[in-house]
Amino acid sequence: MTEKEQFISNISAALGRKTIQKPEADHRLSFFESASSINSNADQSIVDSVNRSDQLMDQMSSAAETIGWKVHHASNTEVAASIVAGICKDNNAKNVLRSAHEVLDQIVVDAAISNIGASVEVTEHQGDYSQIDVENTKIKAFAADTGITGVDYAIAETGSIVLHPRSGLSRLVSLAPPIHIAVLRPAEVIASLDELFALERSNFINDQLEGSMNIISGPSKTADIEGTTVTGIHGPLEVHLVIFKDDHIGQ
Amino acid sequence: MKPVTTNFRNKAAETLEDKQIQQSIEHVYTGFFQGRLSAASETPNWEQLRSKGKEIKDHTIAHLDYYLNLLANNVQKNGGNVFFANDAEEARNHIIKIAREKDVKTVIKSKSMVSEEMGLAEAMNDEGFETVETDLGEYIIQLANETPYHLIAPAVHKSRSEVAKLLDDNFREGDPVPDANQLTMLARKKLRSVFERADMSVTGANFAVAESGSIALVTNEGNGRMTTSVPRVHVAVMGMEKVIPSIQDLSTMLRILIRSATGQRISTYVTMVNGKRSPDEEEGPVEFHLVIMNNGRDKLLRDSQTRESLNCIRCGACLNACPVYRKVGGHAYGWVYPGPIGAIVSPVLTGLKDASNLPGASSLCGACHDACPVKINIPRMLLELRYRTAEGSASKSERSSSAKERTVWKLWKIGMMGRRRFDLGSRTSGLLLRPLVRNGWMRIAPPPISGWTLTRDFPSFASKSLKARLSKRNRTSKS
Ligand code: SF4
Repeated sequence: MTEKEQFISNISAALGRKTIQKPEADHRLSFFESASSINSNADQSIVDSVNRSDQLMDQMSSAAETIGWKVHHASNTEVAASIVAGICKDNNAKNVLRSAHEVLDQIVVDAAISNIGASVEVTEHQGDYSQIDVENTKIKAFAADTGITGVDYAIAETGSIVLHPRSGLSRLVSLAPPIHIAVLRPAEVIASLDELFALERSNFINDQLEGSMNIISGPSKTADIEGTTVTGIHGPLEVHLVIFKDDHIGQ
Repeated sequence: MKPVTTNFRNKAAETLEDKQIQQSIEHVYTGFFQGRLSAASETPNWEQLRSKGKEIKDHTIAHLDYYLNLLANNVQKNGGNVFFANDAEEARNHIIKIAREKDVKTVIKSKSMVSEEMGLAEAMNDEGFETVETDLGEYIIQLANETPYHLIAPAVHKSRSEVAKLLDDNFREGDPVPDANQLTMLARKKLRSVFERADMSVTGANFAVAESGSIALVTNEGNGRMTTSVPRVHVAVMGMEKVIPSIQDLSTMLRILIRSATGQRISTYVTMVNGKRSPDEEEGPVEFHLVIMNNGRDKLLRDSQTRESLNCIRCGACLNACPVYRKVGGHAYGWVYPGPIGAIVSPVLTGLKDASNLPGASSLCGACHDACPVKINIPRMLLELRYRTAEGSASKSERSSSAKERTVWKLWKIGMMGRRRFDLGSRTSGLLLRPLVRNGWMRIAPPPISGWTLTRDFPSFASKSLKARLSKRNRTSKS
């Protein structure tokens, strides 16, 4: 018997049986849900979110404010870019790192940041990923004073944004720099954690689960010294959410 | 981490008498307690969520063999390694072996009660690996060479000035101002440089998802993210009860865990990792290990009366709700798991005989049962364990061995009920306990649970209570 088999057979014995038994389907548990129902749940989550988009965005905006995001509203690309550049300027940013999220190209954020005299770089490895030097990504992230990302989802219930690190989206860009700016569009808002994990689970059974996921809800904080809340212990001290609702498209 | 006995005892006693620290402890517990109540009341289906959480945990624990097997297979499928550790020593040795093989120098840890159970940080430091706790509370505790006081707030008993002194003693960068904000920023700076050079991390796992081989980490500080992003090797450690079946279950479990722990709707960061860095990622660990530890949990599982304690998701709500815990504090329980749930798991895991006082440290008021997000009936189990201690029903070896010991525990119990009686009880039990004590400490955990004795000893009562000593000192100084 391998170590694993021995360990598990000890557990089987503690549960009063000789070997592992597959549990009988218990339909109160999501584990036993059929693939078709998982997929239709996920589809439904998207349909619901799109239908309630305005209401969810209002809820998102106020929930986000409550947990410490500084929320900004932009009605077109120029305003969005100037808000982002304005935050950089206010903080005297020199060294900006950003993800390859498409929305950041859409609002032409690089030009606006260059205009205030800061450098901006995209966290995307150029070339073959098998040749990547991850140390390089780390050094850049720790040296940056501002990190900018889009969002993959936003959760209205909690005021959170969700990021799936991947090519073009470093794990650290939203964590290491003292300031994080996230640009959010209405189509990305979903209602709650239920919808998020319904979508994740459907991705999983369709073999499309990303390697990792971060749900981010406000600035890094601690209350470990006498229960006093202080922001910015390991992650950003300040986080900004720029809600970009393009009036031209009316999305 | 071995306690510095005399120092610790004096410190604990000082804390008891220190009105300001008592107040800040009370402030934190009350904050958590009220936070949970208001989070529950603003959640429309709170009771349903609790029931759902209980259903998920009951089911998983009843089929633990199946789900652990599934979890291990899926972690391997994702390219990770799995190690099953029967006890703390096996777990420690395995992790040290990984560090050696990978030529690791600096290890960063995020908060994990299971690694406390292993005494891991101390063991790794002894082996020559620079091992640093990164949760601010744990970091403070590590600098102070102490043990965590609370599941969620490990350094709740430390005052600002004590933290300032610890940082000053360790870094000598000019006197730090005893201000929470400035001290936190000093710690940020110190820990940043550790993050930048770390080559291995050890994290816990709030949940491990069987179907996908994922682990979920919940933090407010962001150290859970740093530790899973920066080093090239990531080792996650979990008690074997932490597995849940599906990704969707995270939705229920995260909601009840976080609301019950701090009253937040969600913690600042929830991180889910499915193993090592994906091939097209910008950074991330190139190696992932999951260590699944038993360490006596099979005893809790085998016994139908205590099996329910494995449903615990370590939220700390029962601690904040418990009138006894709030009085005696986290260190009195003698091991990593304090409070009502600690009073159940510690005696069973260490062996009834040696920790039989713990189930007695409760007024059975039921506040813990009401608070528990997975509805664990703690008072029922406490009663059962008390009954066994009193009647010696389980087996001869688990019985309190002598009339003297029984008297001692009874006195201790009575002593816990009030300050007045505590004074009386502590004077008497100081005399009675003396034969069982070495260096002022009772060693409560016998082998084979040696990990416990490695990390925790149980303080006996001072032969003179603090009050008695204080008044004596006052008399001497006056004369
Ligand atoms: S027993 Fe319940 S309330 Fe206590 S820590 Fe565990 S889950 Fe939380």
